[in-house]
Amino acid sequence: MTPELDRRTFLKLAGAAAVIAACGGAGQKATGRISIYSALNESTNNQLFAAFTKATGVEVAALPLAAAGDLQTKITAEKNNPQADIFVGGSSEFHDPLGKQGLLEAYQSPNAKDVAAQFKEASGLWTGWYTGIFGFISNTSRLNADIGGKKPATWDDLLDPVWKQKLIMPDPIKTGGGYIFIATQIFRFGRDEAKAMDFMKKLHVNILSYGPTSPGVITSISNGEAAGAPNWSHDILTEKAKDPSRIDLTVPKDTGFEVGAVSIVKGTKNLLGAQAFVDWVLTKEAGDLNTKLSNRGSVRTDVAPAPGAPTLTSVTLVNYDRQWATDNKTRIQKLWQTTVGIQ
Amino acid sequence: MRSLQREPALLLALLAVTALVLLFVVYPQLQVVLTPGPGGYVQYLQEGTWIRPLRNSIQLTLLSTTTAVLLGFVYAYAMVYSNMRWKPFFRLVGILPLLSPPFVVAAAYTLLFGARGVITYGIFGQSPNIYGLNGVWGVQTIAFFPFAYQLIADALSRSDPRMEQAARNLGAGSWRVFRTVTLPLSRPGLGAAILTTAIYILEDFGNPQLIGGNFYVLPTEAYSLISSFGEYTSASAVSTILLLLALGLYLAKVRLDGGRSFVTISGRASSMPRPPVSAAVSRACFVACLSLAGIILLVYGSLVVSALTLRFPNNLQITGEHFQYVLSGTNGDALRNTLVFSGVAAAISAVFALFAGWLVQRGKWPGRGALDLLLILPAAIPGIFFGLGYLLAFNQRWLDFVDRGFLIIIAFVFWNIPVGYQAAVAGLRQIDRSIDEAATSLGASSLRGFRDVVLPMLGGSLRVGFVTTFVRSVTTLSLVIFLFTAPTTTATIRIYQLVGDLNWGAATAYTVADIGMAIIALLVFAVLARGRIALGAARA
Repeated sequence: MTPELDRRTFLKLAGAAAVIAACGGAGQKATGRISIYSALNESTNNQLFAAFTKATGVEVAALPLAAAGDLQTKITAEKNNPQADIFVGGSSEFHDPLGKQGLLEAYQSPNAKDVAAQFKEASGLWTGWYTGIFGFISNTSRLNADIGGKKPATWDDLLDPVWKQKLIMPDPIKTGGGYIFIATQIFRFGRDEAKAMDFMKKLHVNILSYGPTSPGVITSISNGEAAGAPNWSHDILTEKAKDPSRIDLTVPKDTGFEVGAVSIVKGTKNLLGAQAFVDWVLTKEAGDLNTKLSNRGSVRTDVAPAPGAPTLTSVTLVNYDRQWATDNKTRIQKLWQTTVGIQ
Repeated sequence: MRSLQREPALLLALLAVTALVLLFVVYPQLQVVLTPGPGGYVQYLQEGTWIRPLRNSIQLTLLSTTTAVLLGFVYAYAMVYSNMRWKPFFRLVGILPLLSPPFVVAAAYTLLFGARGVITYGIFGQSPNIYGLNGVWGVQTIAFFPFAYQLIADALSRSDPRMEQAARNLGAGSWRVFRTVTLPLSRPGLGAAILTTAIYILEDFGNPQLIGGNFYVLPTEAYSLISSFGEYTSASAVSTILLLLALGLYLAKVRLDGGRSFVTISGRASSMPRPPVSAAVSRACFVACLSLAGIILLVYGSLVVSALTLRFPNNLQITGEHFQYVLSGTNGDALRNTLVFSGVAAAISAVFALFAGWLVQRGKWPGRGALDLLLILPAAIPGIFFGLGYLLAFNQRWLDFVDRGFLIIIAFVFWNIPVGYQAAVAGLRQIDRSIDEAATSLGASSLRGFRDVVLPMLGGSLRVGFVTTFVRSVTTLSLVIFLFTAPTTTATIRIYQLVGDLNWGAATAYTVADIGMAIIALLVFAVLARGRIALGAARA
């Protein structure tokens, strides 16, 4: 390399540094484009990302896949050459193992300081930004015809023989919701796994089928294939908005919930852009928009819930230990399979 | 084919084919197979959770293959031998079940035949529980008979009518001719049909996933491990079990058809018509095909209806909003990607499969058996693992300059080779070697003999390879789910997303657009081939 070239390079670098310094009063400004792996709903993605670009100037290349487990595997398999900057959506159960494998970039967003500790990973590997509550969908006409019109006030009500073969449940192996339902029962019985499994075994008798996806189960109930199903409150409300007389939502006592997370993928090519996204989804603006679009709750106390949507304070929750539920997932799922005789 | 030493070009071609297969089938799959490590395999095997899915897989494969091949045979016989009406219609309907994008088609069965199905409950007042073995068996029979039909029809139509005419002249009845002449001569096609159908049923994921209920089979077990446990180590172990099963099927088939000759084309194909079948047989064929076509049209018709109505089956008010959604924003890009990737892949795959089939079937060189197996193996690899293998093998920094679309095309090519390859091998076994030898003894190179003599006679096999690769590429979700990037999103990814979003109307509209686009593309292809390469398989 000649000295002249060296000088040229130096001048270029100096110029670039000057431009950066001129841009940022309080640090550097995020620019360019980020690639987002999103497990959010189709209807939420488009508007949410457009609002982010408008607010920050950072463009988004979105890769939407409403299956957080698939995205988790995709990120794991891409570790040699990460293609994503951000992983957003899906319960924290899908983000946490990635963090443990060293595939996530820790980031403490200034906007996360008011977020309660139970909604975020302590070192900032992932941050929760929305919540979803587990509820119960009933098909109104089938409820009136077959069950006598009585919605379940507690999960134990579902053991009543009137429900025999009239329930569909999201598959606890194939869906996150189905597993959260079992974990909820374990916490409801004070971590007495035997009692929880006894409950699941009795419930099994009343179940017509286990659906492969949570939204698919909502469609089935809406079509009247069965009278009711445990499912996500926000998705039930979205379906109800299409035809309010067909189905209804109730939230039985002692239910569970999910914490929807956002995380930065290690090896990101645009760290500033990725951090800007985490900062932004934790704003009130993003919380309001997500609440409106998806009926989910926000981890921010200043974001009002969607009309008719349950909140973490309006329902009775079990003491849900997310870390325990995540760490024991495989074991509990297999225990359940043996208990009900599927395996 | 002359010896490799005397024809360096041939040797080069053989090495190239082998290298490509090693690079794009063996190498990526090794990444998956080696993922669990010895400890991982031991641990997973000891857990024993694979025993039940394995038993279920074997049971389901036996049942569904039997019915699908029977149905495929009836359909093929009707198309090739009978004088029934509406053959072009049946030919088109016969490939529709191959065009079944994920989830939506299987879901349509539950909407029609489920507990509150439009047909079962709406018309007959019955509430059958279709979730489980019986439901999957029924749906798989319809979904997979086209593979059997295409391969059998290709074999039947190549059998020489003169043999059957001769048998007739000697006094045999039509049943006897069928049993003692037609059936034995179509054995290569039949063997290929059974093997391919069985392998595809074995790795079928969509149907058991959606209507299997508690009836877990190996592919759904593997997917659950990935999707819900995030445990792709154990999932890779399941994938290896599937590969071993497929290997077993392959060995069984090799034993079954032995090394016999099935040569029926010994000169110029005769223009003699097939001996007529009786009017009663033709009528029976017509009725059989019509009832099958009826079920298929009902299912696909219901998709069109739900794409055009507000909320099928509850609100049948007509609307164009779902199709507007499909054409809005960047949704159209995904359709274009699907068309381009699938079209390019189908053309390459069909020719490559035929060429590889010729090398293996006609060649006399060591290691033929291994290459033969490797060319059938992709059928046994569930798409999700084929895609995962590609991601593990080729998602490397130094390869970033290659557009991801190329990788997806290559994956389509090699994942779909087995059908075209099977058709080519079955076809070649019915064509006398002396025909290509005549060309070489007149001074042509083996490669030239392939191009000028063999290729034109194997139009049917080429067509089977093209059509199958195209429709499978247009409708696969599992293969692309790990490979796609934002700019290379395909139609099936969009459909999956819309189903997950409870947007059944838009999901069916997208499905109809995807299927419609595929049919138009196949029709254009048929016209371009000047009618010589018709849709479906049978040159009826």
